[in-house]
Amino acid sequence: MGRLGKEYKKGEIIARQGDKGSCMFVIQEGEVEAVAEAGGREFRLRTMGPNEIFGEMALFEKEIRTCTVRALGPTRILTIDKRNFLTGVHEDPSLALRIVKTMSHRIRDLTDRLAKYEEAT
Amino acid sequence: MPESQGGQDVSISAENLGFTRRQERTPPLRNTVLADGSRIAVIGAGPAGSMFSYFLLSMAETLGLDVDVDLFEPRRFCHRGPAGCNHCGGIVSELLVQRLATEGIILPHDVVQRGIESYMLHMDVGDVEIATPLHEKRIAAMYRGNGPRESEPLDTQSFDGYLLELAQEKGANVVRRLVTDVRRDNDLMTVACADQHSERYDLVVVATGVNSHLLENLEGEFESFHRPARTKTFICEFRLGHELVRETFGPSMHVFLLDIPRLEFAAMVPKGEFVTVCLLGDRIDDDLINRFFSSPEVRNRFPGGVIPQQACHCYPRINVRAARPAYGDRLVVIGDSGSTRLFKDGIGSAYRTAKAAAKTAVFHGVDAASFKQHYAPLCRKIGNDNQVGKVVFGFAGLIQKTRFARRGILRMTSNEQAQTSRPRRMSGVLWDLFSGSASYTNVFVRTLHPAYIGSLVWNLVAGNVPGSAARHGRASGEEESHVRR
Amino acid sequence: MSGAKTAADQPATALFQLHAQQVEKLPPCQAQCPNSGDIRGWLGVIAQHEKNGLTLNQAYDRAWEMIADLNPLPATVSRICPHPCEDLCTRADKDGAVSINAVERFLGDWGLSRSLPLPRIDSEKHPESIGVIGSGPASLSFAYQMARRGYSVTLYERHSVPGGMLRHAIPDYRLPREVLDAEVERLLGLDIALRQNVDLGNDVDLEELREKHTLIFLGLGAQAARHLGIPGEQGPGVITGIDYLRQRKERSESLDGKRVLVIGGGNTAMDAARSAKRDGADVTVLYRRSETEMPAIGTEVDDARAECVDFRFLVSPTRIIRDGESIQSVQVQGMRLGEPDEQGRRRPLPVPGALQELAADIVIVAVAQASDWHGLEAVDTAHRWLRTRDDGKLDKDLWAGGDDRGPSIASRAIAQGRLAAESAHAELRGERGAGAASARNPINAGAVKTDFYANQQRSQTPRRPQTEWLSNPDAEINQTINYDQAIEEAARCMSCGLCFDCQQCFMYCNASGFTRIQETSPGNYFVLALESCEGCGKCIDLCPCGYLEARD
Ligand SMILES: Cc1cc2nc3c(=O)[nH]c(=O)nc-3n(C[C@H](O)[C@H](O)[C@H](O)COP(=O)(O)OP(=O)(O)OC[C@H]3O[C@@H](n4cnc5c(N)ncnc54)[C@H](O)[C@@H]3O)c2cc1C
Ligand SMILES: Cc1cc2nc3c(=O)[nH]c(=O)nc-3n(C[C@H](O)[C@H](O)[C@H](O)COP(=O)(O)OP(=O)(O)OC[C@H]3O[C@@H](n4cnc5c(N)ncnc54)[C@H](O)[C@@H]3O)c2cc1C
Ligand code: SF4
Ligand code: SF4
Ligand code: SF4
Repeated sequence: MGRLGKEYKKGEIIARQGDKGSCMFVIQEGEVEAVAEAGGREFRLRTMGPNEIFGEMALFEKEIRTCTVRALGPTRILTIDKRNFLTGVHEDPSLALRIVKTMSHRIRDLTDRLAKYEEAT
Repeated sequence: MPESQGGQDVSISAENLGFTRRQERTPPLRNTVLADGSRIAVIGAGPAGSMFSYFLLSMAETLGLDVDVDLFEPRRFCHRGPAGCNHCGGIVSELLVQRLATEGIILPHDVVQRGIESYMLHMDVGDVEIATPLHEKRIAAMYRGNGPRESEPLDTQSFDGYLLELAQEKGANVVRRLVTDVRRDNDLMTVACADQHSERYDLVVVATGVNSHLLENLEGEFESFHRPARTKTFICEFRLGHELVRETFGPSMHVFLLDIPRLEFAAMVPKGEFVTVCLLGDRIDDDLINRFFSSPEVRNRFPGGVIPQQACHCYPRINVRAARPAYGDRLVVIGDSGSTRLFKDGIGSAYRTAKAAAKTAVFHGVDAASFKQHYAPLCRKIGNDNQVGKVVFGFAGLIQKTRFARRGILRMTSNEQAQTSRPRRMSGVLWDLFSGSASYTNVFVRTLHPAYIGSLVWNLVAGNVPGSAARHGRASGEEESHVRR
Repeated sequence: MSGAKTAADQPATALFQLHAQQVEKLPPCQAQCPNSGDIRGWLGVIAQHEKNGLTLNQAYDRAWEMIADLNPLPATVSRICPHPCEDLCTRADKDGAVSINAVERFLGDWGLSRSLPLPRIDSEKHPESIGVIGSGPASLSFAYQMARRGYSVTLYERHSVPGGMLRHAIPDYRLPREVLDAEVERLLGLDIALRQNVDLGNDVDLEELREKHTLIFLGLGAQAARHLGIPGEQGPGVITGIDYLRQRKERSESLDGKRVLVIGGGNTAMDAARSAKRDGADVTVLYRRSETEMPAIGTEVDDARAECVDFRFLVSPTRIIRDGESIQSVQVQGMRLGEPDEQGRRRPLPVPGALQELAADIVIVAVAQASDWHGLEAVDTAHRWLRTRDDGKLDKDLWAGGDDRGPSIASRAIAQGRLAAESAHAELRGERGAGAASARNPINAGAVKTDFYANQQRSQTPRRPQTEWLSNPDAEINQTINYDQAIEEAARCMSCGLCFDCQQCFMYCNASGFTRIQETSPGNYFVLALESCEGCGKCIDLCPCGYLEARD
């Protein structure tokens, strides 16, 4: 049947750390991993599945990707343009609510992990 | 032109405080808010009604507000043919696909009959494909019901049925009844049904679209209400089979710029094994339909140039002027029955008006003053943009009539499509116009850009010089690539 | 632009139009009802009463009148009718057939409790005098239809009380005599003369009556019973089912501790077995085929079982063994099922050597009814049952109906009486026959969109607690649904093939093809302006009841 978005194969990179980007992504189907590169090493930040979003920072601030996102298997991804998003938020600020929720979730997650990390060291 | 009686083209008059009842005027309510146990009737589970219920219940949930939503809908979206269908071209616009995804609603693949990534523009002077730079499928072709009459029982799902399920999952109670009357009854509202059932509610949301008689009944009941003006359109479906549809139409929506009076917009939308033909304009009649199907640009879309027997057709009405006013005490009119974008992205407008009305009801109140302050501005904005839209369609009409203009457009678009590095002024304008991705105002402003005008003038000249290389979109080798494979 | 040339001479698309029209169809309930009752009609009057400006009481009155128009004994017949109307009810596959019978019974009681008069037909008095033999349902129905058409009618009944088998055979626990009495009395109140204790053939002969009356109706029923024709059958202790039930109506006799064998598998066998149980006997029903072939109504069999009646299947009596006068036992032959016979029931075949003796004191033979033609010497009785035209005409001045044309059920007897009256009246008045009910086509299976209708469970006929069935032997077991249940049940009717004002066509037709009628009634809500139809066919697809269809 019909499918929306763009298809990626396993291992294909959807967004690359350091690249410029002006859109956010919504996973339609499949799983992806977000990895950060630092000091020549890769850290897996998280994995994400259908209906989850990533790349949302590009909508709000600088348009440089902070991590690399890679398909873990066959994946379909829909992009949300910055222009479209901001016109929408202008008319209906609550449109941003879900993204804000996701971001706050992620901050909490990172804080937790940081705390655990500090505890361990 | 419109069927219903008129008035000025202003959606909401400022002094008007909404629906008043025919006989007695009840004093206006002040700051009437929803509370735990409030009862809301939503009439019609088209996109507007279902999305209203979905958003209202989501917001209420976040606030810890416990309200009941009865969603009245006699139609079964699992039926094939007109009985289960809310008749439209079946395009979920690029804009709406993205909005919904942002809201956390992704369309399941059995709802999406085909992902669309480009527009194919057909004119007597040639065809040209307008593609997105990303080559990403961000437009969905779907069925409002369960497909045309006598279609094979495939594992498809209705778009409206899917939204209805979402509303149901949020807790809306679907009432399979046809509403015949809405009355003001002391302080509350009464909703009466064809089977003699009636109940009272704190808020009534009218989302019946314009293909229903209910709005006429409302006009009888509420003296200050004027239902939307409508005009007749045409839709039909051809069953060509999966193979042929994929080969002939690809992942593109096909639009036609033909010199046929009163035809404002004509499109073919490929779906699973069907292709939907959709004609919008002013009073589409059988004569116009025949002219459309007689034109070679249309015939050539079909194998052997022969128009096959259609499987299903209807003449749905479309909203060409908003209802006035679209609100009252404990009453709000959303979607097509209220206001919508002229000829474009009607479902997107249903989403916008539904959400705005839901927000008003949850956060501000269900009295006329609250709707006036928080809901009416959106209707006004849509109405104003439609004024610009009429101008834009006027221009398009001029182009339809002028062969040399069509040549210029073909040339400018073809060149832009061939060279991805150049700014795509014409492609962008056409894309946004066809897809409804930007407001008419935005499209119009861009056509006033000096660079656009300059480029258009150049192409008008070049496109009409005999022997010019790029006279036909199809003619030159470099453009072959973007002409449909 | 390949193909443009060839295409240019083709005509443009041919719109495939579906124009609507309103056509009433025959619903399956009515098609199945032996008396062609307008079930959908009277259920609709109740269900749609508010739309048509009736109070619920008025609607019940009106619905009762519609039934009584075709059947003067609604409370009686509804109590005993096996209701074939429900068998093919379109609703059956959804959530159970409409409980037509329960509503009819409610209405029957409603009519009695409100003393509603039988609906009259405005008619002048006619000079002809009509004679009717018998006073069973067939005769009563004929008499009613003639009396209300202005004829003077006289009933001749062999017994002292009217009612036929309803009076003499059907036990009180199924049909209380007060109900029958009240309905017969109301009927006789239409100036119908009843001459009791007059036996055609003994007290009066047919020629006499033919001279006296312009026209005679024969509703003799099937008063005799068939015998087994086996050794030992003659003598005390053997009785036919009908005789046993008839005697019991007059004076019931204790059968305490007696072993009773009932031979047969029909309703008479069930009535006899359950009655014997009430008289204190140990009862076993013997049937020569298996349970699935039993002609008795399923619930009757279940109820008999609930009352501890035993069943022995696939046995056939071959001899009644006596010790002097009194019965010792019955010898039975074991059977097996062979190929199906003409009626599709599997034929019983003896199993060689499988002989058995069953101890017994009394044997009730209820294998089949038979005719008794005494007094009918002038009529062709060469066949097992009277052979008439479809409208019941037998001879120039003779009509017949009911069990004498072959045993059946009360509802069919009523129908035959009515149709005979319609035909006789037409002939007397020199009019053409009313003909068949109408030429309406039966509704196509699938034309009713059952999923449109909300689910609503079928209401069940309430019943007396089972513990009281035998302890209170004459008390009626089935009860009547109440005032509210009756409308709830009526509202379950999907109105197959007739508009019930769901308003979908009106609401959704874009061409405004439908206009509401001022004075509405079931089936009469909208006019369709054929010329404004755009041919989209939407309303045809929408109409839940199949009333709208495509025009050619
Ligand atoms: C020819 C044509 C093509 C179009 N193509 C597109 C397109 O491709 N993309 C797009 O986005 N938009 C398109 N539109 C516009 C789109 O169809 C509408 O904007 C959209 O359907 C409006 O949604 P709604 O929920 O307001 O009303 P509707 O979709 O009309 O839904 C109204 C609902 O209310 C119910 N209802 C009506 N009366 C009653 C009653 N009395 N009681 C109970 N329920 C009732 C109906 O059964 C129905 O389900 C098109 C329109 C036309 C005419
Ligand atoms: C035990 C039993 C149970 C039944 N149960 C049911 C049931 O549950 N449901 C159902 O629908 N049907 C049932 N029936 C069948 C139903 O009773 C008959 O179909 C119906 O009574 C036939 O009506 P009728 O008018 O043709 O004959 P009858 O009811 O038999 O009436 C004939 C009348 O004519 C009189 N008569 C006959 N000969 C003469 C004469 N020579 N002179 C004067 N009068 C005469 C008789 O005395 C009798 O009163 C049952 C029948 C029996 C025997
Ligand atoms: S639903 Fe009503 S009309 Fe249809 S068969 Fe049953 S009782 Fe008759
Ligand atoms: S809905 Fe209206 S236009 Fe369509 S077939 Fe029915 S009557 Fe004709
Ligand atoms: S759609 Fe409804 S109102 Fe119309 S004819 Fe059918 S039953 Fe009657």
